[in-house]
Amino acid sequence: MKKVVIALVGQPNVGKSHLANAISGSNLKIGNFAGVTVEKATAHFSQEEFAIEFIDLPGLYSLEDFSADEKVTKDFLLKGEYDLILNVVDSTNLDRNLLLSTQLLELHKKMVIALNMDDEAIKDGIHIHAEMMSTILNIPCIKVSSKTKANVPVLVETIIKTLKAPFVESKLIYSNEVEEQLEKIITFLNEKRFQHHTMSNRQIAIGLLWQKKEIYALMHEQPLYIELQPLLNNALGHVYMYCECDDIEEVIHNQHSAFASGLCAEVMSLKTPKSKNLTQAIDALLIHKLFGLPIFIFLMWGLFQLTFSLGEIPMGWIEEGFGWLGETLGATIENEALQSLIVDGIIAGVGSVVMFLPNIMILFLGIALLETTGYMARAAFLLDGFFHKFGLHGKSFIPLVTGFGCSVPAYMAARTLKNKKDRLLTMFIIGFMSCGARLPVYVLFAGAFFEEEMAGNVLFGIYISGALLGLIAAKVLRVTAFKGEDEPFVMEMPKYRLPSLKLLWFVVYSKSIMYLKKAGTYILIASMLIWFISSYPQNSLIEESYSAKIEALQATETEAVEPSLEQNATEASAPQEEAIATLENEKNEKLMENTYLGMMGKTIEPLFAPLGFDWKMSVATLSGLAAKEVIVSTLGVLYSLGDEVTEEDSSLREIIASNMSFASAMAFIVFVMIYLPCLAATVVFAKEAQSYKYTAYLVLFTFATAWILAFITYQVLTLLA
Amino acid sequence: MDLSHVNTHQKVLIKAINAQNTLKKRLLSLGFCVGKTVEVVETSLQKNTIKLALGFSSVALRLEEAKLIEVEALS
Repeated sequence: MKKVVIALVGQPNVGKSHLANAISGSNLKIGNFAGVTVEKATAHFSQEEFAIEFIDLPGLYSLEDFSADEKVTKDFLLKGEYDLILNVVDSTNLDRNLLLSTQLLELHKKMVIALNMDDEAIKDGIHIHAEMMSTILNIPCIKVSSKTKANVPVLVETIIKTLKAPFVESKLIYSNEVEEQLEKIITFLNEKRFQHHTMSNRQIAIGLLWQKKEIYALMHEQPLYIELQPLLNNALGHVYMYCECDDIEEVIHNQHSAFASGLCAEVMSLKTPKSKNLTQAIDALLIHKLFGLPIFIFLMWGLFQLTFSLGEIPMGWIEEGFGWLGETLGATIENEALQSLIVDGIIAGVGSVVMFLPNIMILFLGIALLETTGYMARAAFLLDGFFHKFGLHGKSFIPLVTGFGCSVPAYMAARTLKNKKDRLLTMFIIGFMSCGARLPVYVLFAGAFFEEEMAGNVLFGIYISGALLGLIAAKVLRVTAFKGEDEPFVMEMPKYRLPSLKLLWFVVYSKSIMYLKKAGTYILIASMLIWFISSYPQNSLIEESYSAKIEALQATETEAVEPSLEQNATEASAPQEEAIATLENEKNEKLMENTYLGMMGKTIEPLFAPLGFDWKMSVATLSGLAAKEVIVSTLGVLYSLGDEVTEEDSSLREIIASNMSFASAMAFIVFVMIYLPCLAATVVFAKEAQSYKYTAYLVLFTFATAWILAFITYQVLTLLA
Repeated sequence: MDLSHVNTHQKVLIKAINAQNTLKKRLLSLGFCVGKTVEVVETSLQKNTIKLALGFSSVALRLEEAKLIEVEALS
């Protein structure tokens, strides 16, 4: 089997991923490029003697690297190793899409053009003569539809045929004047019998005329360069004169654009006049002057309501399941330490995180829906005016919303911003958008301290206030640290499209698997570690002294029982049992305080004391640096170890409600809301910002803000109470 | 006249794009080009951003960027 790599290239929103999915079945996987932290989706499948790997590159409008995201694609196309370009084109917007195609043709790679969304084009009355287009370009052009899967097998067949056949030059032609000059250079090279081992002389001539550095470097080494130079000078002069423009970049663009529109006019025919389509009708409502923003806020509110109320149902089942697992497994294990490790460490820790899987799934589904339907661009349009006042860019909205899912892809999504300062500013603010990993903490606390009907609103409130704080922070940073020019707002508003269920499922499924993997590895280890440092060293002195006290109480109990009658015994022992229970609790508390974790907690407690945190909460905030879900699992381990006496309070939510004051719980939420996202995210930040200085600023900035605001929350709430 | 002064639902012809470097390239790659017709379809509440119909696609611009695009009314 021969391994081949196919690069999927196209403008944004042409259905690249969808097509990859349609071709490969459901083998799409999301991974990272080595070195750069950009998500690349790959799909594998085998056909005849080929093992084919698709690389779904980030969409780009042209090869002119406007944003960092587009640079990734450009770099891959220029330097990466691949065998064929599959250029995905939106048939309903052929003219503009072909502009990129012409640039791709200049790369001189094997190429196949997929005229995607043919079904939509037919509905819009657009007909493309694919055979004629193939002849004109000398490159196979196949009409497909990723939605109906029409013609997908033909596309695969064509790809295989092209892979087997030797490379054929495309027929990209320029205006007569430019062709004339190119011909002069080619004739000269041919006369001198110049031959390059990979490039044709036409290719070299184009490279020279377009002033490509690599080609110049190559030709400069040749002795014939001396004779070539005056020829080139002359040719360029002619081109500038004919094109009435002395900027080569603009000349190139005009050439490409003329070719693309010429081709488009040749192969495309429009049957019915373009009428007001569905997208315009929806837009009339969704970006309406007055209704647009309220609708947007309502949709967001709905998402968080759904996250809480719908997620609540399976959450109960998972919680019960883990509770049952803990009991059954615990009963079979003889060794006490091992039993504690498995039940109190692993099951309590991992269980408390897995429990939130339904919420995470709903949240990611919501974000994926926003992205795939095209509503995200509308939100950016609606919010730009408002965002701009705070020094942010309308496009910042996209990384910021992604930040509600996870900060890691959000930092990467900030690449769509071209201006470095805008990008950094947005990245500083992303942390204020509570990520999915913080959701378990909020769900836990909202459930513990508020009525069930209110919990969804509280959740929405937490997210909204986080976002508002972010805006204020943006303004502060904009007028202090990140002064400078604003990035222009130029953005395509894609058509509204019903997302493919398969693709949505794929996104939610892969995020869920990632979450579970994290629970099974990272959080499992963290839970075990926290269990260990919260169980050892075991202090036998405390154990003994309390056991002695309890025994003494039990002794008096039995003494008291003996002389009295049977019916009095139960009455008399009730307060006794309570006393024993309090002693038992005290013992566990004391034992815990003397473990490594307790000592650690005690050391940092003074730092968090003004915020109303006890040492357990202080430890949880620290462990939350590893991953925000660990906060919940830490609380789970810490409180489940201490709760042996109060069996009826088996749910963590109730334990927390009875152990924390309202004011400190709110201060805790505020702190968690703002302080540094996890270490993994911080590493990505450092990579994306390419600066240790800014990373250090981020750490300081988030901790300081979190501490101050949590302090204010705690003090105000205590005063009010 | 520049694009920021065009009324909603009025079709105009692009005469010149006065942007520089990267912004110009971006406008060109999004389909803006001298001689093409555009229509202002929608504006946001305080007219900070405008939505344009351009060929087969829709593009959003901030008012500052719209000022860089010179247009003339379509007769």
